[in-house]
Amino acid sequence: MTEPDTIDAALRALLADILGLGEERAAALTEDSGLFGELPEFDSMAVATVLTEMEDRLGILIDDDEVEGEIFETYGNLLAFSRSKVAG
Amino acid sequence: MAEQLLHIAPPGPPRASVLVVPPLFEEANRSRRTLVLAMRALAAQGFAALLPDLPGQNESLATLESADLAQWQAALADVAAGIGGPLIVASVRGGALIDHRAKAAAWWRLAPVGGASLLRTLLRARVAADREAGRDSSIERLQEAAQSEALLLAGNRLSPAMLAELGSAEAQPVEPLRSVALGAGGLAGTPLWLRAEPDEDAVLAAAIAADIIAWSEQCGVT
Repeated sequence: MTEPDTIDAALRALLADILGLGEERAAALTEDSGLFGELPEFDSMAVATVLTEMEDRLGILIDDDEVEGEIFETYGNLLAFSRSKVAG
Repeated sequence: MAEQLLHIAPPGPPRASVLVVPPLFEEANRSRRTLVLAMRALAAQGFAALLPDLPGQNESLATLESADLAQWQAALADVAAGIGGPLIVASVRGGALIDHRAKAAAWWRLAPVGGASLLRTLLRARVAADREAGRDSSIERLQEAAQSEALLLAGNRLSPAMLAELGSAEAQPVEPLRSVALGAGGLAGTPLWLRAEPDEDAVLAAAIAADIIAWSEQCGVT
């Protein structure tokens, strides 16, 4: 498994854990799938939990000043943000 | 003020007692049903299982703003002192930050978490909610305010003392201790304490009970 696929898998598992999506819905997420504002489970507490779990599971540090609302708009945006943080 | 103590008794005289220390804040609500399922499984195997309300949590009449970690540590020590016979303290997540002052024959911790991580999530939730409502907000400014005033974080009004303690709290060494995580090498189950909507996990509940019983037997508490 290549590094980017590991990040993709970790991110899907994390969203499944926090939003209770189940494996099927988590696996069906595409780059264009809407998150915040689209999934009713994705509230401000879920946003906060996602950020802290991303730090724990991806081994990154997230400066909250660099977190723009648009990274939660789609799964593709969140994945791109995660990859850029892991790449450092 | 006496707090509620959920007590699930075994059919006969207990082999030993298990004092469950719940996660903190909203994580306690998300986990409670599964923890009580685990307590029922423990009772079916001959253990008395107890789950206290921390002052200011669950159905407590105390305000959360009047609580802090030192008070919760003392409250748990009092509950433990009132339990006769051998005792195992079983803590989940942030419960591990307040379980070390209780006197016990053994400790068991599931997915322990540092106070700083819990606090950061609460601060982030407040900032996300503020921004959603069009209010300017930042973690730095909230942390500065926290030195002199209580903060309302995701529905929890926390005192400056509580905020300061959380910022630096780590699980303390206790002996004998088994610390277990979820997933590979740990227990099978979902981390319900992270979950945005309530759920339950009967598989995890059974795994929790079996792991506590195995650890208790290994420690000679049978």
